[in-house]
Amino acid sequence: MIFDDLRAIQLRHGFLPRAELEGLSQRTQMPLYQIHSVASFYPHFHLAMPARAEVRVCADMSCHLNGAPELRAELERRFAGSRAEEVQIRDVSCLGRCDIAPAVAINDQIFTEVSADRAEQITRTALRGDALHEDHPAAGRAACASDPYAGDDAIGEKYRVLMDLTQSKAFERVLSELKLSELRGMGGAGFPTSLKWDLVRKEPGTPKYVVCNADESEPGTIKDRFIMTHLPHLLIEGMAIAGLVTGAKTGILYIRHEYHPQEEILGEELRRCYQLGLLGKNILQSGLDFDLQVFVSPGGYICGEETALIEAIEGHRAEPRNKPPFPVAAGLFGKPTVLNNVETFVNVPQILGRGVEWFKAQGQAGSRGWKFVGVSGQVAKPGVFEVPMGTTMREVLFNHAGGIRGGRTLKAFAPSGPSSGYLPASMVDVRLDFKALADAGSMLGSGAIVVCDNTTCMLDMALNAVRFYRNESCGKCVPCRVGSQKMTDLLVRWTQGPLPEPQYRGDLVLLDELSAAMGLASICGLGQIVPAPIQSVLKHFRAEVDAHVLQGQCPSGICHTPAVRAGEANRVGIRP
Amino acid sequence: MTTAATPPGLVDLTIDGRPVRVPNGTSVFDAARMSGIPIPTLCHLQNETPVGVCRLCLVDAGGRVLSAACVRPCEPGMKVVTASEKVLGARKTVLELLMSDHPTPCARQQHSGDCELETQAKAAGITQPRFAKRSVARGHDDSSLAIAVDHDACILCDRCIRGCDEIKNNFVLGRMGKGYAAGIAFDLNAPMGDSTCISCGECMVSCPTGALTNRGVAGTAIAKTADAQIFDAEELLQIPVFKGVSGTFLELNTGAIVKRRFRAGELICKEGDFGSTAFYLLEGRAQVSISTPIAHVKTDGGAKGFFKKLTSSLVSRTEDKRDDERRDRTIPIDASVDLNYGSPVAELGPGDLFGEMTCMNFYPRSATVRAESDVVAYEMLRNVLDIMLKNKTFRAQIDANYRRRALENHLRGVPMFADLSPDFIAHLKESVELQRYAPGQVIARQGDAADCFYLVRIGFVKISESYPGGELVLAYLSRGDYFGEIGLLGGGVRTATCTALDHVEVVRISGDDFRQMIERFPTVRAGLAAVAEERQQANQQRMQMLHSVPIDQFLSQGLMEAQSLLVLDLENCTRCDACVNACADAHNGVTRLVREGLRFDQFLVATSCRQCRDPLCMVGCPVGSIRRRNSLEVIIEDWCIGCGLCARNCPYGNINLHPFEVIVDDLAHPGRKKAAVKQKATSCDLCTHLKEPSCVYACPHDAAHRVDPKTFFADMIGQASTK
Repeated sequence: MIFDDLRAIQLRHGFLPRAELEGLSQRTQMPLYQIHSVASFYPHFHLAMPARAEVRVCADMSCHLNGAPELRAELERRFAGSRAEEVQIRDVSCLGRCDIAPAVAINDQIFTEVSADRAEQITRTALRGDALHEDHPAAGRAACASDPYAGDDAIGEKYRVLMDLTQSKAFERVLSELKLSELRGMGGAGFPTSLKWDLVRKEPGTPKYVVCNADESEPGTIKDRFIMTHLPHLLIEGMAIAGLVTGAKTGILYIRHEYHPQEEILGEELRRCYQLGLLGKNILQSGLDFDLQVFVSPGGYICGEETALIEAIEGHRAEPRNKPPFPVAAGLFGKPTVLNNVETFVNVPQILGRGVEWFKAQGQAGSRGWKFVGVSGQVAKPGVFEVPMGTTMREVLFNHAGGIRGGRTLKAFAPSGPSSGYLPASMVDVRLDFKALADAGSMLGSGAIVVCDNTTCMLDMALNAVRFYRNESCGKCVPCRVGSQKMTDLLVRWTQGPLPEPQYRGDLVLLDELSAAMGLASICGLGQIVPAPIQSVLKHFRAEVDAHVLQGQCPSGICHTPAVRAGEANRVGIRP
Repeated sequence: MTTAATPPGLVDLTIDGRPVRVPNGTSVFDAARMSGIPIPTLCHLQNETPVGVCRLCLVDAGGRVLSAACVRPCEPGMKVVTASEKVLGARKTVLELLMSDHPTPCARQQHSGDCELETQAKAAGITQPRFAKRSVARGHDDSSLAIAVDHDACILCDRCIRGCDEIKNNFVLGRMGKGYAAGIAFDLNAPMGDSTCISCGECMVSCPTGALTNRGVAGTAIAKTADAQIFDAEELLQIPVFKGVSGTFLELNTGAIVKRRFRAGELICKEGDFGSTAFYLLEGRAQVSISTPIAHVKTDGGAKGFFKKLTSSLVSRTEDKRDDERRDRTIPIDASVDLNYGSPVAELGPGDLFGEMTCMNFYPRSATVRAESDVVAYEMLRNVLDIMLKNKTFRAQIDANYRRRALENHLRGVPMFADLSPDFIAHLKESVELQRYAPGQVIARQGDAADCFYLVRIGFVKISESYPGGELVLAYLSRGDYFGEIGLLGGGVRTATCTALDHVEVVRISGDDFRQMIERFPTVRAGLAAVAEERQQANQQRMQMLHSVPIDQFLSQGLMEAQSLLVLDLENCTRCDACVNACADAHNGVTRLVREGLRFDQFLVATSCRQCRDPLCMVGCPVGSIRRRNSLEVIIEDWCIGCGLCARNCPYGNINLHPFEVIVDDLAHPGRKKAAVKQKATSCDLCTHLKEPSCVYACPHDAAHRVDPKTFFADMIGQASTK
């Protein structure tokens, strides 16, 4: 596997020296350009010797709302005299620590709720050459209402659904129950799960694969991290059931590389499952096989796109494929593949274990089941909460997440990270439900609720979101690669106003044309969703944007500062 | 959705309301093209795998979003709209995005006015892109002599990448980086001129914009030399053999072809030298010869004593007969003639081309060419020769020369063909086909029907057999070798895959001619059958070995195939280097043993020829003197010219060049002799003339052993399993 080879080289040298890559090319018969094109795609790999202390401050939504820009500026001030080979301070895309922001990665070790003093102290430790140990919040397992095995501590008492299924082999019944439950994909797109599994089950091609997308990388999305910490057994059981039902004998759990603790938890759980004969060849003497392995992502938001994720597993650049064909017909290695989000798999043993009726009874206001939501940003108690589907946003923000921090008021919230756009406080009674949020012009997505208080500048938040997409675009297709940059340029110009009114009107037309083209012409969801944040801000906060562009004033006092103007120059392209 | 009337294998759909019926699997792009509905594109070329990245061929196929027509297969009942407002708007925005970063007019537009992006943008009415321009330039790369790279004009359409990979199989170009910072890169992002790029020009031909353009090769080495006469394109087109060559091409390559005059007796090129040009003789006669003495390197024991001393000497074939010598009596060289083994001298005249292998594949010169009378010749670089060889007039002349002068030799060189009657040879000379293959192209594939027989004319052909989990290289064939007889004589199915390693030309004898031949000449049949059987047995033996010894590492290192291995027991070895010194003592002070190599358990396998599965040493020998016997042993024939390519190619450093002092004809002064140092390639000879190799004998710690790998590893496996 190319990533294993590259990681081994990087572990030895701290980066990928040319001579080693040439040797790798000779050993593997892989052309040099192919190795380089893969290695240069993933931020995880260094093609040049990194600085002794590589300080990367998370730049995205929740950290942005929690002082990351100030932290970065302060660190740059404190290390202003350092040489480039000593300290490098740069932005990094969301590290998946949105509830414990701001997050900083120093030499790939992640630290959370970091103050400037602490970041400086860790950086100095790195400069001395001492080992760094990232922050691992205490890992006790939380009880979850949706866990059918809650209270069963012994592993043997879990996995009952899987055990029963290996004996009954009632795979059609699994599909019909999932169909009755109307379970939909929880990763964002909401595709009916029973339909997906049924399609793969009916595909004649073999081998088939079950792949779990645990690469949540959208700013604000932290629910899968929580689920893998607290319900790893349901995830493994769900994947194994998918394997048995569809006839796939191999499962791959694709996890983002910033989730070291969850990797360990899952590894431990997998070992126990193998010991008990719940995975592997001839599961519990049933004659059924299912192997499950963890694949650590080489990194990047785009890997969360299902076909990009497949490309990454195959050892390529994670560039989304043109569809059709879809993964159900031609997925991993061109074979039929079930690809679901962590939470979707976790829902399966719940439904099968407790019954469809139970599942349907869990939701509120006509919705079904439970939903894990991550709440971050400017709330008093950020975190992941398990709530019934259909719960109102008000209930989540004010009851579970403790309301707005510091006595301020709610201004806006993103129901699911930048992709869902921003909704104003007046819509806080919207329910957490596929349809309700779609009707509100947003989406349920992955349940990554990011909350903005009344001190937030919404144009700044739109720019922050577009910049994230610009940094994470794979660059395969023109609308996304070039469009995300041009949209960033346009919004930067707006934050630096004032502009003559005719120019502003022209810009608005141009922005609409660009938004339409990106939405229609991009290969994958990333490019298609880039316009969402700014379009939602124009829809709900138009006066604020006008004030920036026409009067040259940021009502929140955030844009138009010299620091912002200077900072932008450094932030074009996250890679050096 | 398929209407009852749709025949199987076909799909009915409508494009812009027009009913269209196409074969299953046809792309919307092709279906539209076939119906006369043009769809614009930048990234799609008909001969390259579609990638769907430029998003210009967008059509509305009824989905939530638009589809790229080049990658969208037609589906029954599909209703495709190619020019709605929605589609045209999206296309225009895509063009405007690209144009905002495009250095208008780009190099291509300036040179030839055919930048595809600028043409399309103009057609769409885009004059002043409204988006901000790229703030940081991506830069130029002028390191290649042939091709200029302007990264700012690159639109990442992947056409060059596919041209390099799919069409030319050069595998140099790829995407690098991510997102807006992405670009194209050569190898590990090397400057193009320092990369493994061979300047074939495919990328530049594929490029739709000014990102990759021809620099022209004026000012390259051959044009700079004093006596070279440079032509302009018009002059060249007057010369008969240049008829039909693209004038634009010649114009762009001014200086890549020059006219030279050589006085009688002057050297034109020397064997073993590296070069990159071919010569086409226009006037005069030239003599082509091999000046290295034709002799084996023989290593003999000297005085009898405790430490036997070996000396290497050159021994002619008459003195030192080898069994199983090469059957043919000609030495293949890089010209339209072969040299006679007994007297390796031949004459070249007007219309002859030589140096093709050197020029196309950069192999060392295979022979020395000296002007006999005053000579006028064209000397040309690869891009010119490549184009010339594609030119019908020139091609026909070269082929005719080859048929007239060398083909008979080649045919007769196959031992069994020695008995063919002159009239049949004459028939073959007219009926055979000459075919060219690009590097990596498969000539015949294992399992395919066998319908012809091949002789290698130029280049190297890899013969390999696939087995579960791998590929075994059976042989590398070079000029004068033949293949394809096993399939024709046997079950009519190819038993191995034959792949062109570089620019290859083969002589193809049709199955009909082949069958006629073996019917008319029973001795030919018997001879071929015997060789075929021999080859097959050897192959089977090797396959069996592969199956019986499941030690991956050994297989991958080719050790199991060695006839004999030198292993050092590292538990006993004190690294005293007595073995190395003994080897040096035994071989005139030049050691052939390096105490390095693959480690296995406590054993180190010292470097000595291991008869690799994939004998890389054989690739590129300009005179075909290193080859594999059917017994698998690699041997170096006596006409080795000492160019050293095999030594450089051997991955294990097991081939050394051994210098000898010899008296040779002084080429500068015909008729005189002079002393010179000539090299010959040698590999470890395992001190064949002694009871034991000197290194083994000299080891004071009983650490060095010469072993038969089969029994040795079998023992080791046995030990391991009893442990």
